Amino acid sequence: MQKINELGEIREKTPVLEVSNLYVKRANSVVVEDANFTINKGDYVGIVGPNGGGKTTLLLAILNIIPRTKGTIRLFGQEIESFTSWDKVAYVSQSAVNFDSHFPLSVKELVGLGRVNRSNLGRTLKRTDWETVDEVLDFMGILDIANRRIGQLSGGQKQRVFVAKALVRKPEIILLDEPIVGVDAKTQEKFYKKLSDLNLKKGITIMLVTHDLTAVFCRMSKVMCMNQWVNVAELTEGVNPEELLRKAYGEHFHFVFHNHECERTFEDE
Amino acid sequence: MNELIDILRLFEFQFFQNALLGGTIAGLACAWVGLFLILRKEAMIGDGIAHAAFGGIAVGLLLGINPILTALLVSILAVLGISYMRRRGLAQSDSAIAVMLAVGFSLGLIIISLAGGFNIELFSFLFGSILTIDQTDLIIVTILGISTIIVLGTFYKELLSITFDEEGARLMGIPVRPLSLAFNLLVAITIVLSIKIIGVILVVALLVLPGLSALQLNLSFKGTTFFAVVFGIVSMIMGIILSAIYNVATSGVIVFTAAGIFLIVAIYRKLE
Repeated sequence: MQKINELGEIREKTPVLEVSNLYVKRANSVVVEDANFTINKGDYVGIVGPNGGGKTTLLLAILNIIPRTKGTIRLFGQEIESFTSWDKVAYVSQSAVNFDSHFPLSVKELVGLGRVNRSNLGRTLKRTDWETVDEVLDFMGILDIANRRIGQLSGGQKQRVFVAKALVRKPEIILLDEPIVGVDAKTQEKFYKKLSDLNLKKGITIMLVTHDLTAVFCRMSKVMCMNQWVNVAELTEGVNPEELLRKAYGEHFHFVFHNHECERTFEDE
Repeated sequence: MNELIDILRLFEFQFFQNALLGGTIAGLACAWVGLFLILRKEAMIGDGIAHAAFGGIAVGLLLGINPILTALLVSILAVLGISYMRRRGLAQSDSAIAVMLAVGFSLGLIIISLAGGFNIELFSFLFGSILTIDQTDLIIVTILGISTIIVLGTFYKELLSITFDEEGARLMGIPVRPLSLAFNLLVAITIVLSIKIIGVILVVALLVLPGLSALQLNLSFKGTTFFAVVFGIVSMIMGIILSAIYNVATSGVIVFTAAGIFLIVAIYRKLE
C-alpha cells in the first residue's frame, strides 16, 4: 500500500471537479441519480460498476457533451457552462481504439493531432509542438513505433497511443473510459502502471472507468462505485470497500480481496 | 521518330498548354479533396454535386453567362441543401445527396428541352472537353484551384482531425460545423473547376481513384496525400497526351489512366 501513501502526500485538497445533486437522463430513463462528489488535484479515481450503471454517461455529462437534467458540475471552480479552459481536460473514449484500421495515419501524426486546438486554428504545428509529441511518446514508451501506421498496432499499443494523444495537450485532468481491445492482463497491468506514473510524477488527476478491481485497489486513491447512484470512497490503508461494491453490483456478488494480490501484481515490474 | 516530334510539337500549341495547366490544377485539387472525401466515406457527395452542377451549366448557357460560374452557384446551393437536410433531420446524408443530384440534373433537362439548340456545348460539359479550354476558362480554373489548395492547406490539420474523429475534434475546441461546411464548399468548387476538363459524369472518378491508389500503399497521411496528388496529376497529363496522340475522348483516357494506376498499385502490393 506504499503507493497510496505516496499519493496521499502529493494530493492537495484543491478541488478539480465538484459534482452536486447531478441527475442525467438518457432516452427518458434516469442514468445518473443525485450524484455528489468532489475530485481533488492529484486524485487517481477508479470508476467501477456494472454495465449500464451510468459510468460513460457521467463522464460525458462532466465533459458537457450530453445535457443534464439537474445539478451542477464545476471544473476548476467554474461551472461547466461558463468553463472555457477545456485544454486542461483530456478525454479518451471507449471507442477511441475502434478506428478504421485502414486510416492512413502514423502514430506520430495521430498524437500530433492532439495538439490541434482553437488557438492554433489554420496554422501548422510548430517545432515545439512536435517536441512535446516526442516527449510524450517517449514517456509512454512508444517512441520506437512513432512511424508505424496506427492500423498495425496491437491493442496495448493503441491504448498508449490514445493516452499519448490526450497527454500532448498537457491536461490537468484526464478522463479515460477504459479503452480495451484484445489486451492481455499483463499488458493491461503495464498500462495501469504507466497511468500511475503519470499521476505520481506529473500530478495529473486521473478518472478511469475500469472493470479491473485489483488495479483499482492496488493503484488508485479513490474508488467511485456507480449504479445510477454514485458513491466515492477514499482508498486508504485498512479500508474495505466490499460493501460499496456489493451495493453497486448486487448482493449475490462476492468480492474476495487481499492485499497480497497487490504484491503479486507489483512483482513483475 | 516523326511521331515523337509530332507529340513534342503539340506542346507548342496554346490550346495544349492550356489543357495541361488546367488539367494539372484540377488533378491536384481533385486528388487532395478526394482523399478527404474517401476517408469521410462521402465519395458520393462528389457525384451528387457534379450532377447538380449540370443544372447550373444549362442555366449559364441559357442566360449567356459563363457556365462555370452558374454551375458554381448551383453546386454551392446543392451543398447547402444537403447540409440543411442533414441538419434538420429531413434526410440522411446519402438520401440528401440523391435528392440534390436528381433535382439539379432535372433542372438541366428542363432548361435544355425549353431552350434547345445548345446540345453540342452541353455535351462538352457532360463528358468534358479539355482541349477547348480557353483563356477565360483557364483563369477561372486557376483562381478556383489555387483558392481550394490554399484553404485546404490552411485547415489541413483541423480537417484531418475532424475526419478521423469528429466528436473528439469538437471536444478539442475545433469548430467542426463551419469547417465541415467549408470543406463541402471546397468539394463543390473542385468539381466545378474540373467539369470542363473531365465532365459531369466522370468527375467522381478523378476524386476517388488517385486517393484509393495512394491508400493502398499503406503510408502515413503525409505520404498518402503526396502520392494521391502525384497520381491525380499524372493521370491528367498522361490522359491528355495519350488522347491527343490517339485522337480519342480525353476524359475517358484520363479515367482509364487513373484506373490503370490503381490496378498497377494493386498488383504491386500483391506481389510485394
